[in-house]
Amino acid sequence: MAETSTEGVGARTGSGTGTGTGTVEALTLVPKAVATQSMKDFKSDQEVRWCPGCGDYAVLAAVQGFMPELGLAKENIVFVSGIGCSSRFPYYMNTYGMHSIHGRAPAIATGLASSRRDLSVWVVTGDGDALSIGGNHLIHALRRNVNLKILLFNNRIYGLTKGQYSPTSEVGKITKSTPMGSLDAPFNPVSLAIGAEASFVARTVDSDRKHLTGVLREAAAHPGTALVEIYQNCNIFNDGAFDVLKDKQQAEEAVIRLEHGQPIRFGTDGNKAVVRDEMTGDLKVVTVTAENEAHILVHNTHTTSPTTAFALSRLADPDTLHHTPIGVFRSIQRPVYDTQMAEQLDTAIVQNGKGDLAALLAGNDTWTVGRAARHA
Amino acid sequence: MAYVIAQPCVDIKDKACIDECPVDCIYEGPRKLYIQPDECVDCGACEPVCPVESIFFEDDVPDQWSDYRKVDTEIFADLGQPGGASAAGPLAADHPLVAAQPEQAA
Repeated sequence: MAETSTEGVGARTGSGTGTGTGTVEALTLVPKAVATQSMKDFKSDQEVRWCPGCGDYAVLAAVQGFMPELGLAKENIVFVSGIGCSSRFPYYMNTYGMHSIHGRAPAIATGLASSRRDLSVWVVTGDGDALSIGGNHLIHALRRNVNLKILLFNNRIYGLTKGQYSPTSEVGKITKSTPMGSLDAPFNPVSLAIGAEASFVARTVDSDRKHLTGVLREAAAHPGTALVEIYQNCNIFNDGAFDVLKDKQQAEEAVIRLEHGQPIRFGTDGNKAVVRDEMTGDLKVVTVTAENEAHILVHNTHTTSPTTAFALSRLADPDTLHHTPIGVFRSIQRPVYDTQMAEQLDTAIVQNGKGDLAALLAGNDTWTVGRAARHA
Repeated sequence: MAYVIAQPCVDIKDKACIDECPVDCIYEGPRKLYIQPDECVDCGACEPVCPVESIFFEDDVPDQWSDYRKVDTEIFADLGQPGGASAAGPLAADHPLVAAQPEQAA
């Protein structure tokens, strides 16, 4: 860190880097790597400690395999995590990282991303960390549209604390803390993110390396906050939670693969499709016929209105996971917080000159509480 | 880095490991099972379930089977990363080192 000159940082993050529109390409300010990188470059010397068979290994391998593609200087990449099994992630990445406070990774990452725009900032969090204790931080990061990428590992259970129900567990989930079944209605993280004004929302699956990598690629390129929900198997406390989406036979009927610009079809030979219900305006799944084929919804991730993306996120049955869309739900351009903040700072300096923090702290609005004042 | 399957698997092929592997990276040859090293995510789920203790982390392969470290790599030299054993189906042939092994009774 010491080698990174603060002068250089100021030049990059201070004046003249805004585009005027508030959107800057996600990674344009991040220095490139000098040499070609490989997956090995992103593996740290730490022994990976998750349970054998954990889905986290698959995500780690996919992320380590993807990072060389970005070609960024490793010392300008940061992984910030909260608390939970997935939050061990930064130890295993040969980048900068921070295993931070429970649920607060988005807050720390917000500060980092907005003050150091020459960094590629990633948040690794879980369904408990992001949606329970950190729920507030998550939604505010999303609405601010800070340039950070949030990987939300959703295993629908608290694994680190040995198997209590989480904010994404299905109703009736029997765990040690809910012996008669949980009563809580679960969050749908994609719906939540869309409702929180997220500009990029996607969902993928731990074991589908190709799909996961494709989603990471799109998230990395997105200017602003990207939320990627990753369905991740906890083989100890919630084994097989996503089997219906992974089993080749069942997945055909259960998984809807979203592709921008393509009609939303799935099932054997694409015999099922998503159409709009003319009466309610909602989306529904139908069997494709000659009559309805022309009405199949064409997926458009760039639609400004979040309504259709939200409707897509509601297609999945929370209990059976049938009709679960995976892929990018929404990817729109809107002003990025850190760019706008940099522009405000530029403007303030132009108007008022460079500030003096010490002078400000000891300025007019300070006073000393003395003996005389107390006895007055 | 990856896990590899050593000599005890030859002619046994119990396949308990295949059920455990979360990323479907264990491929079946005529006489032995093989782990695709680039698809393996190092999770270690396969190792404890092998009834003949044939699976080792790459660095921990016992000396007498050290050749098997390259067997699982070389078998995929032409195939590359098929992206899942169940879709790819069984391999057509074994690695020469495995094919040359004397028959091993279960």
